[in-house]
Amino acid sequence: MSLKEQLKQDFSTLTLALIAVAIVLNIVLGQTVSLLKLPIFLDSIGTVLVALLAGPWAGALTGLLTNLIWGLISDPVAAAFAPVALVIGLVAGLCAKYGLFKQWWQAILSGVIITLALSIIAIPIRVYMFGGVTGSGADFITAYLLATGKDLFSAVIITVITDNLIDKVATALLAWAIVKGLPRRFTARFQRSSSVIG
Amino acid sequence: MSTHFSLYQPGSSYLHRLHPLTKLTFSLAAAVVVFGGPGGWLAALFPGLLAMLLLWRAGLAWRAALTIFRLLALLTVVLFLVHGFLNPHNKSILLSLGPFGLGQEGLAYAALVALRLAATLAASLLLTVSTQPAHLVQALAEAGLPYGLAYLLGSPLLLLPQIAGRVRSIQAAQQARGLKTEGSLLQRARALFPLAAPLIFSTLVDVEERSLALEVRGFSAPNPKTSLNELVDSPAQRTARWIMILLAGLLLAVELSWRVYASH
Repeated sequence: MSLKEQLKQDFSTLTLALIAVAIVLNIVLGQTVSLLKLPIFLDSIGTVLVALLAGPWAGALTGLLTNLIWGLISDPVAAAFAPVALVIGLVAGLCAKYGLFKQWWQAILSGVIITLALSIIAIPIRVYMFGGVTGSGADFITAYLLATGKDLFSAVIITVITDNLIDKVATALLAWAIVKGLPRRFTARFQRSSSVIG
Repeated sequence: MSTHFSLYQPGSSYLHRLHPLTKLTFSLAAAVVVFGGPGGWLAALFPGLLAMLLLWRAGLAWRAALTIFRLLALLTVVLFLVHGFLNPHNKSILLSLGPFGLGQEGLAYAALVALRLAATLAASLLLTVSTQPAHLVQALAEAGLPYGLAYLLGSPLLLLPQIAGRVRSIQAAQQARGLKTEGSLLQRARALFPLAAPLIFSTLVDVEERSLALEVRGFSAPNPKTSLNELVDSPAQRTARWIMILLAGLLLAVELSWRVYASH
């Protein structure tokens, strides 16, 4: 199949409707689970879901647009991290494509891979645009590491990875469980989902 | 969290009447100059001041300043604490507190980062505070953005309040049937699925209906679409957009070539 045909199939009207809903899920779900006071934000669950159902390109687009819209309506700082959200969708989709989302333990592994991949993009943005801090609780880790004599770059590397690891593993597991639990007549409309359901 | 999902402030000032693309170009050009322009902190100060001046003339400066404060206050405090006390480049110590010293280099760096962020925010608020998101999407579509992408930028804005309402009813329903949202970490983690899954399942099941509704309205038809709302553009604004792009590109080129020259 040529690239053009593949893209046409990846971005059918059905997929576009899915992406629109997933963007909203990204924005509101963090709020839903905030009353549990868990160390996770789940702000990329919609992105990973789209990546599993409709492939890496659709996933990447979902992440990118989520942060741009977020920047437009409430916090322009989120727009600066749009490339990070893009990488989350892209890598989740690639993991699914190469069969790394079939079992629950593979979903955990994919969560780790997503974390490492997003760090490559997130760390330079955090260091060069924001001086290494974001005004969240994770800044304590950065401050502690700086106090122990680490330089800013390595302090931020450790902070970003620890801060994201639990969240991305939880997100990947939850997305895997959701896709497995969706009615077959729904997932059957998304060809790419066969690499997750098997 | 606020119930209305928008930074947009309705009004009829000259900023509101400008074409959305003109304001978008200003925001992007300002961000390029702030982070890539020559002159260090001056490159951040001028676009930031210009943005605040333009906002002030439209009567929106106060609103923008409050938003900047809300978004950056905590970050700025952390920034000054972390870099003031812990920046590895600190040499000239202004004040000693036990094992930690307040360093001048760190403070200067923190001030530069805070200034850059505030200036970029001011420039982006110039767009978001005075532009209805739907109009921006329409302007982008008229400028050649594919309709599919325009839909993806616009539709979530309409869906948000609807789905946020559903969030509240799911929370209330699960708590009413005795879902434990307090207790040990494991107990709380167990409540994650019952809270998240109903929302995700119910919204995903709507997707098929939505796509059918779009299809029967000719969503994927290739012919051009007409719009009820007409955006006003002018030759002067078109020229201004090109000037802003050229100016930002020029300043970026100056800074880059200077850096290459200085490193040799």
